[in-house]
Amino acid sequence: MEIPVNHNQPMIMHIDLNSCFAIIEQQANPLIRHKPVAIAAYDTPRGAVIASSYEAKALGIKLGVNVREARLLCRDVIVLTPDPEKYFDAHRRFKKVLLNYTDQVTPKSVDEFVIDFRGSRAVQRGLDLRDVGLQIKQDIKESLGEYVTVNIGIGPNRFLAKLAAGLNKPDGLDVITGANLRDVYSNLELTDLPGINVRYQARLNMERVFTPLQFLDAPVLVLRKRVFKSIVGFYWHLRLHGHEVDTVDFGRKSFGQQYALGDKTSDREQLSRLLMKLCEKTGRRLRAGDYIAYGVHMWLNFENHTYWSKGKKTRNGIFATQDIYLAAQRMLNDIIIPARVTNMGVTVFNLQPGKPEQLGLFDDTRIDARSLAKAADMVNDRYGEFTVVPAIMANMQDTILKRVAFGSVRDL
Amino acid sequence: MKEKINEEVSVVMYYSAKRRQVLPHTISWRNTEYFVGKIGYHHTVRDGQTLHHIFELVNREQTLWFRLNLDTSNLHWLLEAIHDGNPS
Repeated sequence: MEIPVNHNQPMIMHIDLNSCFAIIEQQANPLIRHKPVAIAAYDTPRGAVIASSYEAKALGIKLGVNVREARLLCRDVIVLTPDPEKYFDAHRRFKKVLLNYTDQVTPKSVDEFVIDFRGSRAVQRGLDLRDVGLQIKQDIKESLGEYVTVNIGIGPNRFLAKLAAGLNKPDGLDVITGANLRDVYSNLELTDLPGINVRYQARLNMERVFTPLQFLDAPVLVLRKRVFKSIVGFYWHLRLHGHEVDTVDFGRKSFGQQYALGDKTSDREQLSRLLMKLCEKTGRRLRAGDYIAYGVHMWLNFENHTYWSKGKKTRNGIFATQDIYLAAQRMLNDIIIPARVTNMGVTVFNLQPGKPEQLGLFDDTRIDARSLAKAADMVNDRYGEFTVVPAIMANMQDTILKRVAFGSVRDL
Repeated sequence: MKEKINEEVSVVMYYSAKRRQVLPHTISWRNTEYFVGKIGYHHTVRDGQTLHHIFELVNREQTLWFRLNLDTSNLHWLLEAIHDGNPS
């Protein structure tokens, strides 16, 4: 069944902060404005660049290169390490600006928001969304600083709004409607479409779909049965024609922490210490969200490019850091470590709401781990993170620093 | 190049009732007075229950960037870092 193009008035706005972390650093420090700036996880040669300014991008310093490569591309690049609290603050200010226009504001990541203007009073009064976009740009400059710019895209669905936001970077404002949809597609490559990577491009090419226009005109059956081989093909057909399919809000499924080891090691004692800190950070977030988990998953990456992971469901609810650590440590005890560990991570899953609390008949009654965890959390809330920690974590303040997650901003 | 300092410094701060703003005005560090020019970014951070105000600013001559931390539990100022705007 072919679906016609959606010709309704575009009411969805996608806003993203240009080169978010880099531009906030340039706002904070006027001396590094208009210069190539790279934000790297670590400022050591192998530290990965996680954001770069437009000046740095123009020189080829993009996401994923390491500091050594960045310096080879540009000797004068200014390398900074991330300041998550500042970016979270910018995110909150960004959101506050948008909430002045409507309450239908959905954060997609630390630097991206989607706003649904259907039902907004401003629009009902007849205000043009393009004018609203210009006003938002001005408000963001007033709230975050004069150097901060945003891309705004307006479309009939989230996909086209995001596509519009990427058309003229930086500081763009573009509208895609049913009327100009074909013109916009005719100037793009398949991989310019959000969500289409080189693998999907290859699959589409195999069915003689080489351009976004051909993708738009491709029969639903071909997309469903031959390209995506699932209902996803039909969703793409709807998306490309301007119909909304991306409003699903996936609930919290897990909490996890990971760490790239600066000093690679195969020493079990050192790995256990790092594991405990990962478990503590995971446990803090689990308890702050008022959840109990019924499963723990752990993974390790090794220097020889091999990978190990194991997950285990648990009968009793996991709430305290010690519970997570014990489950993860047991898994760690079971493996033979083939090489030095480069990355490690812990996740808790099978989440259930913390209340009402399900008490186990055979739970240990002598030491109430939940009360202990709650008491330790209260001390840490009051006196600062890691004031009270398990003994194994002593002197680890500068290890496993706070990071900004790509994507989810549920914890902000 | 950015350099971590982490030294307590003397700061003159003023409050403008008209603009409802509190801003640092002068920084005394290592026997030199720096008049505050542009404030790049100001945000707050919590360490437990203690609120810290972080000011990132440049001197009036726009030659040095400072990151100042005001600990609201004791009103002490800490110069956390400086940057001269050049690559390391």
